[in-house]
Amino acid sequence: MFYAKFFAKRFVAIVITLAAVIAISYIMMYCSPGGFMNTTQLASSLAPLAAQDPAAYQKLMEQFQLRYGLNLPLWHQVLLYEWHTFTLNFGNSMQNPTLSIMSQLKTALPISVILAFSSVVLSVVVGIPMGIIAAIKRNTWVDYLVTTLSMFGQAIPSFVLAVIFVLLFGVVWQNVLPVTGWGTVPEAVLPVVSLAAGNIGVVARYMRGSLIETMRQDFIRTAKAKGVKYWPLVLKHGVKNSLTALITVIGPQFAFTVVGTVWVENIFAIPGLGKVISTAFTNFDFPLAITAVFILGATIMLTNLAVDVIYAVMDPRVKLQ
Amino acid sequence: MAIAVSQSQQSVRRARKNSPMYRAWQRYRRNGFAVAGLGWVILFFIIGIIGPWIAPYSYTYADFLHMHSGPSWQHLFGTDTVGYDVFSQILYSVRYALEIALGATCVSFLIGIVLGLWAGLSGGIIDMIVMRAVDFMFALPSFFFALILVVLLGKGIFPMILAIGVPGWAGYARLIRSLVLSMRNGEMVEAARALGAPQWHIARRYMFPNVVGSMVVSLAFGIPYDLTAQAGLSIVGMGLNPPMPSFGNMLAQAGANILGFPWLLYFPAGVFAITLLSFLFVADGLQEAFNPKGGM
Repeated sequence: MFYAKFFAKRFVAIVITLAAVIAISYIMMYCSPGGFMNTTQLASSLAPLAAQDPAAYQKLMEQFQLRYGLNLPLWHQVLLYEWHTFTLNFGNSMQNPTLSIMSQLKTALPISVILAFSSVVLSVVVGIPMGIIAAIKRNTWVDYLVTTLSMFGQAIPSFVLAVIFVLLFGVVWQNVLPVTGWGTVPEAVLPVVSLAAGNIGVVARYMRGSLIETMRQDFIRTAKAKGVKYWPLVLKHGVKNSLTALITVIGPQFAFTVVGTVWVENIFAIPGLGKVISTAFTNFDFPLAITAVFILGATIMLTNLAVDVIYAVMDPRVKLQ
Repeated sequence: MAIAVSQSQQSVRRARKNSPMYRAWQRYRRNGFAVAGLGWVILFFIIGIIGPWIAPYSYTYADFLHMHSGPSWQHLFGTDTVGYDVFSQILYSVRYALEIALGATCVSFLIGIVLGLWAGLSGGIIDMIVMRAVDFMFALPSFFFALILVVLLGKGIFPMILAIGVPGWAGYARLIRSLVLSMRNGEMVEAARALGAPQWHIARRYMFPNVVGSMVVSLAFGIPYDLTAQAGLSIVGMGLNPPMPSFGNMLAQAGANILGFPWLLYFPAGVFAITLLSFLFVADGLQEAFNPKGGM
């Protein structure tokens, strides 16, 4: 019962947020100068038509407006768009009028989701041991190495790392790992690693701080006094209690990673949602752009919801609100 | 007389030595990374100011005879696909990157301070509305808002400042609201008020020194974030309009042309990465200096 109420509340909040995001982005795009029909490529190819046969050009523009409902009043457009989006009826994009947005999403979304989730998993798998080692070897060279490395990972954005990887594996060590494309495991290595580097740094630093904090607690001293050996003390008593706090960073890290996929997919030429977003925005393809933002936003918010539930399940002291 | 003067000077010096700022600087100085980072950041600022004067070429000057040439004395960091001098491009990019990052951080901070103060001081329904808006901004990465704003505003310097700055206010608003609440209900302020201290004295001696640390730290973390966002916009093709040079444009171009011309990458990526690292080291050092207990 309690969970049902919690989920209902959060779900309503998510729907309201998404509706607001759609409305705001739709209105902004509506107000923006230079629509899809005026972008450089199309405008130049339509210019001869406009010069030779103004009536036909006019008719074409009217048909275009009619097709995407751009002749309706703004409030009507927004409400209609909200309705269509929430019923998952995304319509067709402007760039590829024959291809439905749904079919584009079906191929692009799984790629981005796999990319983002595997990088988060990698960052947890690598970051936690790094943090533990740094914490138990506190103020030794190991600790400084881990801390400095994680600073580097945090400071250098995924796209810089991605370009450096392209240089290393495209020029210096050719034929070791492919630098473009998607579909096989080797092709996924570089994008996932460049996305995960920042997260590894965050996870390692957080784990280190959290474990150091935990090892100062009274129950650790009690366990030590009871005669618990060193490794069980660290792993069973210390790490287990530090992990619950670590879950809270996964949510923001996931959002950060989703932004990273947009960059990394552009550099490694991966046909994911990030690539779709960048082509949609640069071509003023509004339906596709807003839908892509909607999908990514929904993914992030649902992940955050899941993280909150997992946190509450793992740490009974936490109360869901 | 002379003795009295020297005594008062001494007490001034002692006061300065005990001031929170001085102690923070003492702590900051012990962190080698932070000092090195500060050095690079200062150099970066100097280049940002004098860059256009020391640049050997204009950023619009394309040397068609030396396209794709590697580093040489004529073109220190080589030339790119159009024949632009990479060294000059970097010098100009530093200026634009700084203008946009500082401008955007200021915009975020101003909106944040106004809304945070408003929410914290008035409380009630206004506080609730502002905090809901903060939740809304945190629900989605601000990068997406920036993308949409670029479509609306265009790709100049000023539009970039707004596009990156406007969506970034939520963190500052939340911080300032929490500072206001902690100060307003704090025992120290209450005690000072009970002793009859005037409002401005309380603000200057008790509130400001306690608030300035967290604000400086959050601003210091904000600048590298805005630098990253700005370059990230270029990576998706929504950054500064070429031929305006920017680190993001150079990185995107280098990524596309890397196989034949690796020097297009070495220098822009190197400078950009070192800059971001330095800003982060400075921010980290400041955090440690102002808040020695907390942090990691």
